[in-house]
Amino acid sequence: MAGATRSPLVEGDTTVTDAVAGATVGLSAMLFALAIAALFERVNLTGTVAGLSTVTLLGGLLIGLGVAVSVFGLGSWFGYVETDPDASAGLIAGLGAAVPWFVVGGGVASQTLGFGTVGGVVGGLFVGGLTFAATAVPREDVGSTVPLGALLVLVGAVFLTGTIGPAWIWNLGWEQQASITAEFLVPTATLFCSLYGGWAAAKAYGRFGARGRHMGAYVLIYVNALSIVAFLFILIAFVVVQGISGLLNGAQVGAGVGPQVFGVVELPVYVPFVMNGVALLNDFQGVLPAIVGTIWLVVGAVLFAVPLGVGAAVFLTEYAERGRFTQIVEVSTNGLWSTPSIVFGLFGFAFLIPRFGNRKSLLAGMLTLGFMLLPLVLITSREAMIAVPDEYRDASAALGVPKWQTIRSVVLPAALPGVVTGVILGVGRIAGETAPILLTMAGGTFVPGGQTVDVIGGFEFTAAPPFVANPELLQATSALPYQLYALITAGVGLGSNVTDPDGFRWATALVLLVVVLSFYAIGIGARYYFRQRLRHE
Amino acid sequence: MAQATRSERLNAAAGQQVQRVRDFVDDTEPAALVVVTIIALSLLAAFVGFLAVSNLTALPFALFVAATGYGWVRHQEETALVLTLTMTVSTLLILGLIIVFIFRESVPVLWYESVTVLGVRVPGLRMFIQPNWDAVAPPIRYSMVPMIHGTVMVTLVATAVAGPLGVAAALFLSEIAPAIVREFVKPGVEILAGIPSIVYGFIGFTILSPWASDQFRTTGQGSYLFVGIVVGLMALPTVVSVAEDALSSVPESMKSGSLAVGTTDWQTMTSITLPAAFSGVSAAVLLGVGRAIGETMAATVMLRGVPRLTEPLVNVFYGQETLTSLIARNYGEADGLQMDALFVAGVILFITVLVISIGAQYIEWRMRSKLGGEA
Repeated sequence: MAGATRSPLVEGDTTVTDAVAGATVGLSAMLFALAIAALFERVNLTGTVAGLSTVTLLGGLLIGLGVAVSVFGLGSWFGYVETDPDASAGLIAGLGAAVPWFVVGGGVASQTLGFGTVGGVVGGLFVGGLTFAATAVPREDVGSTVPLGALLVLVGAVFLTGTIGPAWIWNLGWEQQASITAEFLVPTATLFCSLYGGWAAAKAYGRFGARGRHMGAYVLIYVNALSIVAFLFILIAFVVVQGISGLLNGAQVGAGVGPQVFGVVELPVYVPFVMNGVALLNDFQGVLPAIVGTIWLVVGAVLFAVPLGVGAAVFLTEYAERGRFTQIVEVSTNGLWSTPSIVFGLFGFAFLIPRFGNRKSLLAGMLTLGFMLLPLVLITSREAMIAVPDEYRDASAALGVPKWQTIRSVVLPAALPGVVTGVILGVGRIAGETAPILLTMAGGTFVPGGQTVDVIGGFEFTAAPPFVANPELLQATSALPYQLYALITAGVGLGSNVTDPDGFRWATALVLLVVVLSFYAIGIGARYYFRQRLRHE
Repeated sequence: MAQATRSERLNAAAGQQVQRVRDFVDDTEPAALVVVTIIALSLLAAFVGFLAVSNLTALPFALFVAATGYGWVRHQEETALVLTLTMTVSTLLILGLIIVFIFRESVPVLWYESVTVLGVRVPGLRMFIQPNWDAVAPPIRYSMVPMIHGTVMVTLVATAVAGPLGVAAALFLSEIAPAIVREFVKPGVEILAGIPSIVYGFIGFTILSPWASDQFRTTGQGSYLFVGIVVGLMALPTVVSVAEDALSSVPESMKSGSLAVGTTDWQTMTSITLPAAFSGVSAAVLLGVGRAIGETMAATVMLRGVPRLTEPLVNVFYGQETLTSLIARNYGEADGLQMDALFVAGVILFITVLVISIGAQYIEWRMRSKLGGEA
């Protein structure tokens, strides 16, 4: 009966505490956003937000958050709040709380009290150790809130009292001069404090114990995942916003404004940036040669790497018995996959260039990128072929079909989606590579439209061996990633060629991003399509 | 005893191979054998010709193409077998060629920088015991120490960024995210891997470097700290995808067993999934480290390009040069010994990353055999 009379009370209590804990989590989210805004100077530290000076506001909010978190923990300890805490917050929570306190203790001991580096480490270890004990020894509700709440209150008080004001600066006194400024320290400290506060508040929201830890961890993991996605979007949006004006500079839409393609059709759009080269008399300069160069590079690399990689994958999965040989090939393919791109560049420089007329050439660039693409094609094709069920092969073999026929008409078609997806994603990767072609192909900063490479028209037959020659393949041309690199390193010298060098650079970056990401979009789309179709069958 | 069994085993294996080749010869028509032999020999000749920089390389290659075409029409089974075998071998060959060529180019400077220790001449030692790189004024020295220091600094910062964030994101993708969220976040991570490094470098160069220089009141632009952060973000997708594979390879039965006794999802993750996948997750972080070491373009455009140690060594607010950016920046004007010194930097990179890659594979292999899945 006692339970029956108590339960509505407990329930009413529950909603209030829930609301308080939830509001605390919301407060830390707000602080997190403010800190990010201040870090990227969207919010001015010396200015005001909502009538208060920014640093004061941050300090006040931090103190509020710290007090709320601590009160929650203490309330649970004294039994005012219904919770379910464990005996200890655990070693990981202890370490997590000890790290910021180590930094604070070390900073105070070495700088404020002037004990030097050794004194700083000793002081930091002392304070950190104390925090570790204070977190791990008491019951979980106190251990996981009070040390962190105290940290938040301390940092908030430092901001509020103006000990670290907007003009604060700490010269590190190093030979290569560097200082830590309030502009950096205040937002960064707020950022970490808000994460700690959110973690503690989420634990309290989950009523501590196993469920509380679950909540605390999930909050951090969700913040992390969200930040990564947000970072991706901001990055792409930033490049688009910066580059779009340069890209559309002089663009026209209308019948007959565009250049002729295939000698017959006139395009209804004219975007000079992607349809022109650079010339003295051009109204609008462009990067057409680099785009064409990138396309040919990719085509060459694919023609080299895909047959080789798929063939090797066929041998490894279908013919070879699993043993030392396949193991060696596997290990070296993975090794090849992680080899830095600049090492491929060095290899192309030492191996290919002397063999193709001792100068940088399109062909050398193609092959170097092909070497890079090969391990990726091999790995993904092999995975796709292993995933083909053995029943397919057995059924075909039972009909008396020879091995190669089985591979060609059963295994390869079944593995095709995986191979195609892998190849497209790999192509996206190599299309944006700069380092390998830096040493093997290069090209100029500004390339006239007349130098746009024409591989198909470049073939000619000669009387002497090797009988076939293609001067277009054997000369350097430009590619988008290289051109962007050249534009960056050319620095101020750009002004005479292009009216708006910065816009030109950003537009080049945008075109490169669009080219590479469209490969990815196609690859991911293809995978999605094939998976859908597989599910329907 | 062990030696004897080992050599016996090797003999047996060799005997088996010989037997297999003999079986192949017995089972195959003589005409097909001839074609296959011609294919193999002509390709070998073409390869030798290519290595020897001969103009006649085209001749054996044309023969190879012709023989392959004929074999494809008349003896497809055998031709396909031999073709796929040569393709596999050429993959190995490429790795071998990389090793031979970058090592060969780096030999002269190793002799130049040799030091006599206790009467023994140790080639290349002086590159690692003094920190002075000077390619112009005598004494001309090609020390790798400043660049190794730079690479270590950048890699440390990058690992601190990519490791925790990557593992947390992998946990999210493999254990926590609802299916619909995963459908969006996973391609997002892949796209993150696809953004070209020069674009990262460009943003770092135009936005991040001036900002950092202003924030930390440094003289000039370029700091290991921010190069490390950018490189860490670039290594993040590698860590996420490999760690996610490791986490989802933990058998579902282990997780369900834990959940059935009433643990929360998070308890299952920390006490079952993460410990079981620990080696796979550490392999993921290792591979991320490998990516970070080899990252070139962002470092090249964001660093100062002056090969020297920072003062003091822990000064992350100044960025001088890494092994990768040294190569990318100096290949143009370098020749002779300086060019060879760039190849030494390449050799160091190559060996380090290869060791990391093999280590990661060993760890993954151990994990798979421990979990009792298919090897």
